[in-house]
Amino acid sequence: MTPTTNASAPSGIVLNIQRYCSHDGPGIRTNVFLKGCSLRCKWCGNPESIAFKPELSYDPRKCTGKKACGVCLKAPFPEGGFYVVEGADDTIHVNWDLAGDCDEALASLCPTGALEMFGKRMTADEVLAEVEKDASIYRSTGGGITLSGGECLLQPDFSAALLKGAHERGMNTAIETACNVPWKFLEQVLPHVDTMLHDHKLTNTERHKKWTGVGNERVLANFKKAYETFPDIDFVARTPLIPGINADEEHIRAVLAFIRPHKNVIDYELLPYHRFGLGKYLSLGVVYELDDYKTPSDDLVKHLQAIIDEAFGRTGGTR
Amino acid sequence: MKEIGHGNFQRRIAIMVGAGYIPGLNAVILGAALAAGKLGWEIVGIRDGFDGLLYPDRYSDGGLLTLSPELVANLDPTASGLLGQAPRIDPFHVRRVNDDDMVEEVDMSDELLKRLKKEDIDAVISVVGGRGLSILFKLHRKGLNAVCVPRSIENDIAATAVSFGFNSALSFTIEMLDRVRQAAQSARKIAVVEVLGDQAGWLALQAGIAVCADAVLIPEIPCDLQTLAARLKDKVTPRRPYGLVVVAEGAKFLEDIQTQTVKPSVNSLKASLSPLATGDASDHVIRKSGQAAETVATRLQLLIAEETFPLVLGPWVRGGTPTAVDRQLALGYGAGAVRAVEAGSYGSMVTFVPPDMKFVPLTDTINKIRTVPSDSMFMQIASSLGIFLGREL
Repeated sequence: MTPTTNASAPSGIVLNIQRYCSHDGPGIRTNVFLKGCSLRCKWCGNPESIAFKPELSYDPRKCTGKKACGVCLKAPFPEGGFYVVEGADDTIHVNWDLAGDCDEALASLCPTGALEMFGKRMTADEVLAEVEKDASIYRSTGGGITLSGGECLLQPDFSAALLKGAHERGMNTAIETACNVPWKFLEQVLPHVDTMLHDHKLTNTERHKKWTGVGNERVLANFKKAYETFPDIDFVARTPLIPGINADEEHIRAVLAFIRPHKNVIDYELLPYHRFGLGKYLSLGVVYELDDYKTPSDDLVKHLQAIIDEAFGRTGGTR
Repeated sequence: MKEIGHGNFQRRIAIMVGAGYIPGLNAVILGAALAAGKLGWEIVGIRDGFDGLLYPDRYSDGGLLTLSPELVANLDPTASGLLGQAPRIDPFHVRRVNDDDMVEEVDMSDELLKRLKKEDIDAVISVVGGRGLSILFKLHRKGLNAVCVPRSIENDIAATAVSFGFNSALSFTIEMLDRVRQAAQSARKIAVVEVLGDQAGWLALQAGIAVCADAVLIPEIPCDLQTLAARLKDKVTPRRPYGLVVVAEGAKFLEDIQTQTVKPSVNSLKASLSPLATGDASDHVIRKSGQAAETVATRLQLLIAEETFPLVLGPWVRGGTPTAVDRQLALGYGAGAVRAVEAGSYGSMVTFVPPDMKFVPLTDTINKIRTVPSDSMFMQIASSLGIFLGREL
């Protein structure tokens, strides 16, 4: 993992810039997704954001096949990386073990765009120029920029530059983070943050390790220290709700017990698990690990939301 | 080569096994060890896939088990756990938690090759399945003297007639199907049993023949469920008020293919990674084990009067002890791999082409699947026995 360190001309690996978002901070916002993550949540809906470096993706719908093209079946593409099945089927398939290391130069040789890279390096100015296109909308709705990922804090120089630049342009700033990073990264970025959306995935450290790859001691310590060190930030806790993993009262109450003593944690949101990310797994050739889990029922979500509402003094029904 | 004193050298090779249990692993190791011993070579086993090489500190023996004549003399060929296994064997993407407590994947292939050099190991025999063959090919391109032994419960590895492990799975599948048939007979219902076979229907077809199933549905022949229902109506009578349908987990259905509106019954995520990919990235579903049986049982029930019930054998058939056939095959594959090393045939896979053991380049087997050909003898036998194979042949 190679977080950016060049502060004089900060740049970073950007996965995507998504305009007109309304769920990740106040008002209408532009979400900037950065690549690289320090967790491996088995339910991850953004698998293309996990690796730090840009990586190959393949969209078979854009591929015209061997007879019409076949460029990837020959050098300089890696031997065995792309192939067709014997018989009449002309479709090109990818052997991800052999083709996965293809870089942007190779992907650019694909004339139909079926091969492309997830992620590209951009400077902070380039990103801000894109984000600034909706400045008038931000002004009228109180919106701004939200950095997401992956884990945006893994590129602290870049994130800090983006958020500082956004503040200078009068935008509201938010980040979405799981906080599994050294505290110094948070210390560098949080001075430029208005709202911090942060994931309370699992409160039990063993279970956190089982489902995300590491324990949660540092994550919880970072949360607590952030609440205490940056009293002016609006913190919004979040839980991706997955039946059989964390969609239970015990977890919700444990999170509430953790956040309620801190008055700057202004809300706790539930994000019912969905499987929208599966198409991306397909494009990346990554096997989805959480294949037998279902979306939580509406009744369960309402029940857990009612517990949160009660804790926040919002009695009288679901939100 | 390992120096053994007085200017003499002894050849030193290694053997490792890929992820997943399969009956007969110890027999492959035994075959390789006996053959290497006969040549005067030393052979060591790498523990837990490549972990024994990548993480020697985790093991009291440094991650390498010397397959000494004493150990080999007492090695049980019916077991499979001598060297252990790892869930992943890809040294190019090793997942680990770094010093900053962050999860990352790192390329440890250089470390692997360095450790082999340091240990004076000049060739590695790898007992691997489909994806493992690609990884070993990549390692071979990087300089590893690799010889692979094909392992497949589903017998879907190209360029070899029979992978070891298949016969054991077949035997157990037949035993279980016999029991299911008794249950179906007793309950007067139609049993729909899903067996392994995501892309190739060998297990379903050969087991279905052995138990004289009413129908066998395999990935190679998209099934016409209307015709299947009609055939079952003929077969299930008051004198024989039960039925048995064997369905491979990767079975396809004509109505899905024709309408393109129903989500595919095959695991299209897995299919997209395989030579039989449909190429449909927009409409895919992660298939759970048992979906093929449930699809057939549910749809059939709408078309016929009799009650159907789905059952899934799935991974149960991966366990157990190797059959006599698999023990012989495994020993042969192990010995054959040593012969490939002796011949300097690296970047190859040992294949069983009756009556011979041969070596083929890995490029002849990666990106290919050994499917059931339409003119297969087994298809003809099934047809002669009156077994419906998804459509009228």
